[in-house]
Amino acid sequence: MSTQSYFPVPPGVGMEENFLSLDDILLSHERLPVRTECSFPRLGFLERSSDAHDIPEGTKMELPLWLSKGLYERKRKVLSVDLPKVYKEGWRTVFTADPCVVDLHKMGPYYYGLGSQILHFDSPENSDIAQALLQTFIGRFRRTMDSSQNAYNEDTSALVERLDSLEKALFRSGQNGLNSFQSWEKGQASQLTASSLVLNYRKRKLADVQT
Amino acid sequence: MDPSEVEFLAEKELVKIIPNFSLDKIFLIGGDLGPFNPGLSVDVPLWLALNLKQRQKCRILPPDWMDVEKLEEMRALERKEDAFTPVPSLYYMEITKLLLNHASDNIPKADEIRTLVKDIWDTRIAKLRLSADSFINQQEAHAQLDNLTLMEINTTREFLLDSLNFMFKLRSNLQPGSSKGQLTDY
Amino acid sequence: MSDALSDDGSDINQDDSQDVMTPAELIAKLEEAWLNEKFSPELLENKSEVVECVMEQLTHMESNLQRVKKGDAKASFHRMEIDRIRFVLSSYLRSRLQKIEKFFPHVLEREKSRVEGQPSLLSPEEFAFAKEYYTNTETYLKAVALKRMPLNLQTVDLLKAVPEPCLDSFVFLRVKEKQENILVEPETDDQREYIVDLEEGSQHLMRYRTVAPLVSNGAVQLI
Repeated sequence: MSTQSYFPVPPGVGMEENFLSLDDILLSHERLPVRTECSFPRLGFLERSSDAHDIPEGTKMELPLWLSKGLYERKRKVLSVDLPKVYKEGWRTVFTADPCVVDLHKMGPYYYGLGSQILHFDSPENSDIAQALLQTFIGRFRRTMDSSQNAYNEDTSALVERLDSLEKALFRSGQNGLNSFQSWEKGQASQLTASSLVLNYRKRKLADVQT
Repeated sequence: MDPSEVEFLAEKELVKIIPNFSLDKIFLIGGDLGPFNPGLSVDVPLWLALNLKQRQKCRILPPDWMDVEKLEEMRALERKEDAFTPVPSLYYMEITKLLLNHASDNIPKADEIRTLVKDIWDTRIAKLRLSADSFINQQEAHAQLDNLTLMEINTTREFLLDSLNFMFKLRSNLQPGSSKGQLTDY
Repeated sequence: MSDALSDDGSDINQDDSQDVMTPAELIAKLEEAWLNEKFSPELLENKSEVVECVMEQLTHMESNLQRVKKGDAKASFHRMEIDRIRFVLSSYLRSRLQKIEKFFPHVLEREKSRVEGQPSLLSPEEFAFAKEYYTNTETYLKAVALKRMPLNLQTVDLLKAVPEPCLDSFVFLRVKEKQENILVEPETDDQREYIVDLEEGSQHLMRYRTVAPLVSNGAVQLI
């Protein structure tokens, strides 16, 4: 029987972020291209390419999502955020043509998560981006499903490596369903197995002896 | 839900056994059973039937539908129809597995039955995947899924429900005014 | 010995109501609650009454069994049944505890805002568990991280930090009592809301939010 010793907080998905989710913490470190709309006094050390004391207005640099979100204000222009290229019109057209051909791991790996977060920055293209995220997911759904259901006991790395991190999580839940059914069918469910914790502990002990 | 829990539910289904012992009626919390007389068939839940069988206290009579001819008809129908056809038992898969694994000597043509039930299962699972895909594609809000069994639902539950949840959140991105969109300060 | 085991358990009076439930119906109620709890995205109202009655039945049966000599055939049937009921009972209680751990600030918040006389979501034991879980989480966060933060960042609002149950999740259900005119809200802007009738015995996939009241009054069963 599947037992989990604890329940990791899942990512928020969409414009929400879950404070205690490891995935969302990692996502918040993704870097965004920004342009300063006023000067940032005494923060020159953040911009490694120059020795200046201040960051002048109009500087183009990259900031992590969490910092950009914190500094961004609708009323007072502090910085403006550029769309990463995968959310720009050119790429959106590629996604519309065939969402399955894109390697979302390479382009992401937080394609959906970051894409949703970008919507906080009030780009005029917001509704197109949101639409593209949704349609891309729907367009790739069948493939994600089929690969998670057919790939039992086969090497799945080639399939999985092109998935976005959220698709990967879905892939895993698909495989869980299939694997637990198949091991039930074979009668493996009634056999007791050592927990992975115990196995790892043994390995570690062995490693201790060897060093 | 773990498949073994679905199997647990299936074990409540009644089957006929022919006991080789005699025992008065017994009053279980869940209902009365018996009396048991050697050679006379009696209905018991599957969990008890399997236990008695393992202790060589009875012979299990397979359910009516566990019959090569009937299953062949069902398989043909299942392959022909687009919709899920009615199943003889909501636990057909679990009952088949349990009886074939623990009482195969009481089931005539056990191997053929195993293959037929597996064929029916595979056909239905393929349909389930097809309908899951169209449900997502059409972004539907409601589907009627009569005749689908718990074990069938269970193989794809986590995946399908997670996907629907995920799609819901991506769709709520389209409504920029939603309160969820505000920056949250912890 | 046959006296001890022929006792089929007295009928159980459900609190003040006049309904009389047989032990078999009671077990069915427990299984219903178990599946609903497993599949609903939020914590459901506690069924302490059912749990207590089942416990009573089990203790009663177990004390009868103590008087039976070893190797008695009937006794082994009873023991197997008891084990099965215990399994459902513990799995039910465990799935509630898991949800309490997952949603503890929200569960406690609902309990706080509960109007006098309204039934409580939690049993007294679960309430104690939730409170302790809250305190422990807070203490832990403080000890490992927060106390090292600047003063103005030393509190975390757990109510905001822990995600709420998503009532918009889809669920699978089987209809026990026919329901007419259930409003299905549209998923997209170009769809329109529509009405479905839920026929007895039919099965559906739809949003939990739509059917939540029907789950709590027992008209539908989550599957």
